[in-house]
Amino acid sequence: MDVITANELLSGAVVYLGADGVWQAELAKARLFAADEADARDAALATAKANARLVGVETEKVAVSEGQIVPNRLRERIRATGPTAPNGPERQDLGDDHVSL
Amino acid sequence: MYRYDEFDHGFVASRVTEFRDQVNRRIAGELNEDQFRPLRLMNGLYLQLHAYMLRVAIPYGTLSATQLRKLAHIARTYDRGYGHFTTRQNIQFNWPKLKDVPEILDELAEVEMHAIQTSGNCIRNVTTDVFAGAAADEVIDPRPVAEIIRQWSSVHPEFTYLPRKFKIAITGAPNDRAAVKFHDIGLMASANASGEIGWAVSVGGGMGRTPMIGKLINDFVPHEDLLAYLESILRVYNRYGRRDNKYKARIKILVHEAGLEKIQAEVAAEFEKARGGVLTLPQAELDRIATYFVPPEFETGGAESFDLTAERQRDADFARWVENNTHPHRAPGYTSVSISLKPVGGAPGDASAEQMDVIADLAEKYSDSELRVSHEQNLVLPHVRIVHLRAVHAALVASQLATSNIGAITDMICCPGLDFCALANARSIPLAQDLSRRFADPERQKEIGPLKIKISGCINACGHHHVGHIGILGVEKKGTELYQITIGGDATENAAIGTILGPGFTETELPTAVEKLVDTYLDIRETPEESFIAAHRRLGDAPFKEALYGTR
Repeated sequence: MDVITANELLSGAVVYLGADGVWQAELAKARLFAADEADARDAALATAKANARLVGVETEKVAVSEGQIVPNRLRERIRATGPTAPNGPERQDLGDDHVSL
Repeated sequence: MYRYDEFDHGFVASRVTEFRDQVNRRIAGELNEDQFRPLRLMNGLYLQLHAYMLRVAIPYGTLSATQLRKLAHIARTYDRGYGHFTTRQNIQFNWPKLKDVPEILDELAEVEMHAIQTSGNCIRNVTTDVFAGAAADEVIDPRPVAEIIRQWSSVHPEFTYLPRKFKIAITGAPNDRAAVKFHDIGLMASANASGEIGWAVSVGGGMGRTPMIGKLINDFVPHEDLLAYLESILRVYNRYGRRDNKYKARIKILVHEAGLEKIQAEVAAEFEKARGGVLTLPQAELDRIATYFVPPEFETGGAESFDLTAERQRDADFARWVENNTHPHRAPGYTSVSISLKPVGGAPGDASAEQMDVIADLAEKYSDSELRVSHEQNLVLPHVRIVHLRAVHAALVASQLATSNIGAITDMICCPGLDFCALANARSIPLAQDLSRRFADPERQKEIGPLKIKISGCINACGHHHVGHIGILGVEKKGTELYQITIGGDATENAAIGTILGPGFTETELPTAVEKLVDTYLDIRETPEESFIAAHRRLGDAPFKEALYGTR
């Protein structure tokens, strides 16, 4: 399965295309594209890439494990949860002042 | 320290104005990311995994107290209350918002700083010996020359789009603390037959996926000809450096593929044309720049009231700190104090805004308002009177800045790794934290002696793993992190590239593997004075390889 992810322009924060078409900070709210939804995924990807308020739009492979969406790549797991060091900084806050996506 | 003149102020201000306009146009949708990306990178603004990252240049690692206070203010006001000092003697802010960046650059300009040429295929920040202008073993203070190189290389129209980035390091001491042989150009003070001081020039050094030791291209270039010579090298590189393959575009590949003799001849031909021309440095200009770097007036009185030996006997922690964190100064009664940014369990190179303020205060009070950033990701108070060591130590203890580990096994270089960096394949910081906990005991660190561990989260080698006595390279294999160990690297004048010992280790296995290497060293060293790297030079990889992988 795939999700579509990007960084939001103003904050740089990681965002995911949500099930309702709204961009979300939480991976849990991401829309899942099954293998047979490639056309829908590609259409959503093209729309996202045309959105000037998003940077680095990509699809990412994920699996669903115990009801949780888990990216296949470690890099994406870290993007979804933030730096891993104990007492390290939290993920970037999308903030209130970001332009609505 | 160098002070901006009217031209510098005007130029930096105009760049901020220009970038502010570019940011506004990006936010308004008038520029797309493809158009904006090269513009932001020219101003040091990257996009990393979680957020933007702003890399601010600290020319040759020299900072004033006022500048450090400004960096603290920026960390507090626009970021998350901390900054990360890098192996390029720069500082990075990991969490700025795009709209705030022009404000940050305005604030930096107020204290004569900027983020220009901290990215892109141009000449980057010139780096130097962290103890430049202070070290007892120094032949000449390299900073006036570093400043001249900075001015020459800033927005140099011919060298703005080189085949790849270009890094110059310079040292005025015979003991190389600036890793000059691992830079595109390395400069080391040298004397000719008449005893005049000039520069030995090495070319084609570097780390990354193809580590190379720089090759000596000229053993003596006089001061006045240095810019003409550097320009000649850059011109040859710009003409012949590969642009077809990013991974083969650095000058080290050109020198390697063409051969030193060919490059030497090409450079000599360019130098013949350039020598004696506009790039010849008049003595008056050298002298003018040098006035910015005149050492402070060193005091001599009042020393009799302080007995360092007695103080060390009285306080073991203070004694350990003095032993590890001070460096011989050229002026009697003075020392250079290294402030470790490697606390046990910390992220190497990180300093909080509060800590930066404390250090700025200490610099103002005890070090002629001067500071240095080391490429080993620590800060230095270059000119501290020995009579003030007690007071400095006490202030550092109060701010959790008195870790006594400079040059020891826990004083690791470590890149941001996959926790932050868009290029990384594996994490580095958690590994450094694990290792620092494993070797936290100060007595054990003392027993081990000088040992440099350097950790990179990918082959780009920002963490200098190739020159670690023990180097650790994170790679990704089948979706998990693995860490390769190299051994025998050396960034000093005895330059050596470490060799890979064998298959990689998982994150949990790694501290034990490092411990085995350390225990092996302790077993095989001839005397406690024989350092890890000296023992490796004597015995080679074999005992260490056997310790990790057995005799197979």
